Amino acid sequence: MKKWIKEDLWRHAIALVICFFVLFPIYLVFLSALSPTGSLQVTSFIPKTISFRNFHLLFTSPAIPYLDWMKNSIVIAGVIAVLSVVIGAASAFAFSRLRFKGKKQGLQLLLLVQMFPAILSLSAIYVIMERVYSFAPRIGLGTEPGLLLVYLGGAMGVNIWLLKGFVDSIPVELDEAAKVDGASAVQTYWLIFVPLAAPVLAVVSLLSFIGTFNEFILARLFLVDQHSRTIAVGLQGFISGQYANNWGPFAAGSIIASVPLVAIFLSLQRYIISGLTAGSVKG
Amino acid sequence: MEKLFHRKVTVAVKYIVVALVSAILLMLIMSSFAKREYAISGFLSIALCAIAITYLTNYSIPMKFFLPGMFFLFAFVVGPILYTIAMSGFHYQTGNYISKPEAITQIISGGVRPDSAQTTFDIIIGEDPAKNLEILASDPGNKKYFLSTKATKTDLDPAGLTIDGNGDATTAPGFQALTPTEQAAQDKALGTTRFAYSSDFFITIEGGNVASLKVQTLKYDSGTDIITNALTGSVYKDNGLGNFANVKNKSDFLQPGWRAPVWFSNYTKLFTDPQIRKPLVQVFIWTVVFATLTVLTQFALGLLIAMVLNRKLHGRRIYRSIIILPYAMPSIMSILIWGGMFDTEFGAINHLFGTHVHWFQSALYARMAVIIVNLWLGFPYFYLICSGALQAIPAELSEAAAIDGASNRQIFRKITLPLLLQVVSPLLVASFAFNFNNFNIIYLLTGGGPSNTLGGAVAGSTDILISYTYKIAFSAGTQNLGLASAISVVIFFIIASISLYGIRRSKVLDSFK
Repeated sequence: MKKWIKEDLWRHAIALVICFFVLFPIYLVFLSALSPTGSLQVTSFIPKTISFRNFHLLFTSPAIPYLDWMKNSIVIAGVIAVLSVVIGAASAFAFSRLRFKGKKQGLQLLLLVQMFPAILSLSAIYVIMERVYSFAPRIGLGTEPGLLLVYLGGAMGVNIWLLKGFVDSIPVELDEAAKVDGASAVQTYWLIFVPLAAPVLAVVSLLSFIGTFNEFILARLFLVDQHSRTIAVGLQGFISGQYANNWGPFAAGSIIASVPLVAIFLSLQRYIISGLTAGSVKG
Repeated sequence: MEKLFHRKVTVAVKYIVVALVSAILLMLIMSSFAKREYAISGFLSIALCAIAITYLTNYSIPMKFFLPGMFFLFAFVVGPILYTIAMSGFHYQTGNYISKPEAITQIISGGVRPDSAQTTFDIIIGEDPAKNLEILASDPGNKKYFLSTKATKTDLDPAGLTIDGNGDATTAPGFQALTPTEQAAQDKALGTTRFAYSSDFFITIEGGNVASLKVQTLKYDSGTDIITNALTGSVYKDNGLGNFANVKNKSDFLQPGWRAPVWFSNYTKLFTDPQIRKPLVQVFIWTVVFATLTVLTQFALGLLIAMVLNRKLHGRRIYRSIIILPYAMPSIMSILIWGGMFDTEFGAINHLFGTHVHWFQSALYARMAVIIVNLWLGFPYFYLICSGALQAIPAELSEAAAIDGASNRQIFRKITLPLLLQVVSPLLVASFAFNFNNFNIIYLLTGGGPSNTLGGAVAGSTDILISYTYKIAFSAGTQNLGLASAISVVIFFIIASISLYGIRRSKVLDSFK
């Protein structure tokens, strides 16, 4: 008994303090979302009445096109999650399995490029897409397809890099056997590699989804119209400068937006974490 | 048989996709060429050729895999990086945003004054027999009537005209009035056409039936590249910085200017112009401090909790699930939530501690808030990494040390930490590089503020380089894209060297064969 206290009590104490630090904001969001007032002011840390007014407001108030934002975010992040992996997987396969001239230089370039966040060349992207708009108004600045194109480019470096790491860990023997049986590189890719790598591809596309969902500044630059915004831009615009007034609906909105992502993350944490530690930091 | 059919379908799909993509690219090439975006249409043309060669021949198998990824990588990552470098060599800001020919056109079309008597005419808008825009102008006071097109002015004899009660001509021989719908269709041309009057004067339409007499004051001579003001006699010369400046008074510019190549002056300005250098140095110092403190605090807390939980403990799984929550939540939401919690009047933090701190109004408190929030966001990452790494350290090592009489502290300092750092240090470097450019936390939490502390510049005391650059390029006032690009390029190099250092240490490069 005494040993238990000596060995474990302090561990529990520290863990509890840290859990308090972690849970405090999360608890507070639930508190605000379920409060009947919707104000930022905390009158008591223990709820007296529970009300769904804020959730109701979120879906009915014309000032908050929450469903549009949610839909935009899911569509944009979903398209990027799928396309970036479809395109990235092919390059990752080639880097990992094929022999060709300039492979080393290619990998070095990729390594260099994937270190630069898109925000560093933000003004250039802005000016270029402004020019694209002048001749192709559907895919230029201020359009959803334009944003998708930019995201796709930005996702490419990190995704190829991550996927290559995963692909390297798939045994070479399998595709060598296929090669011996006379399969071409393209056949090996489709018939051997893609089915084998399917779980990995799913995880990387999930990471892309989360990354895109969390992207703020490009979305803000591109999506100006209230109804075309993503959830991040929409909620930020909704409370910026007026925390006090719109806090309740904001809290409700951020809970709805976060819960699915947290659930996915927790259920797949093993895979996601191995991907993240392979060389990138979550944004 | 079935296999053969399958193969035929795949080949057909391939050709259809290649054809579709090529058609889209071809359309874009033509329209961008028509708009004189030669760089873009050149890039797209190369892409089109590459697609045709790669997918219609067997010239290079690896290229079949690389091409789509390479296209996006070059178009939206490498391209913008190169463009950033190019932009940093230009005087490129609000007022100097367009090309020189465009600027000259705008200066000339703006360099117009009404004549000294402010003459106006009553007009009817119409066409001459050759379908050119024409106005039938009346000057009822002087009983003067004439027709005017862009090229010629024809005086009319009042005797041959129908004149209404106001003394305005309503018809004239050969003149066909436009209906309101026809006028609406020509709206743009009507606003910009200069109708002939005399050698120095011309007429522009002011409204539906009024036009006024104008004189061109600014004149451009393309031979000498000089603009002169006919009224004042001032001479304006290209000052090499993207403006026509008065030769006698260098601060007298004509607007708008254009983006002029200034080579390295945006870079030298970073070091020589005190108005830029002073905030930049402070922002740079804070960026380094912010990134360092962030990494250290995140790592320390992550390591602490990893060590605390590195042992069979009741409820360990629950602790673990709770601790990775901040990492699983969308970080944007978390930052905005913390922003509300730091509110002075109503925020939960002041409420919890019973304080009344103006978190975002003082440089020190705002910086503390940024670090605290970033700690919350990032320490679970290091917890996950450290707990993985701790488990990988063989227990025999510390057991052996304990037998030799080492204290727990000695074991930690001499065995655990060095082994851990070996695994974690590349990730610490990567995290430093990431936080060096952690735009979201700054922008969403404090907006870079409080902003009155760095001597009136746009920079605020929590601004890091990247958010400062963003403000320079996109703030409401003057948007200086040239300067912002120059700072971006500097950040490029800083990040590249930090990351290359980290990569060297992690020996990733050795694995390239």
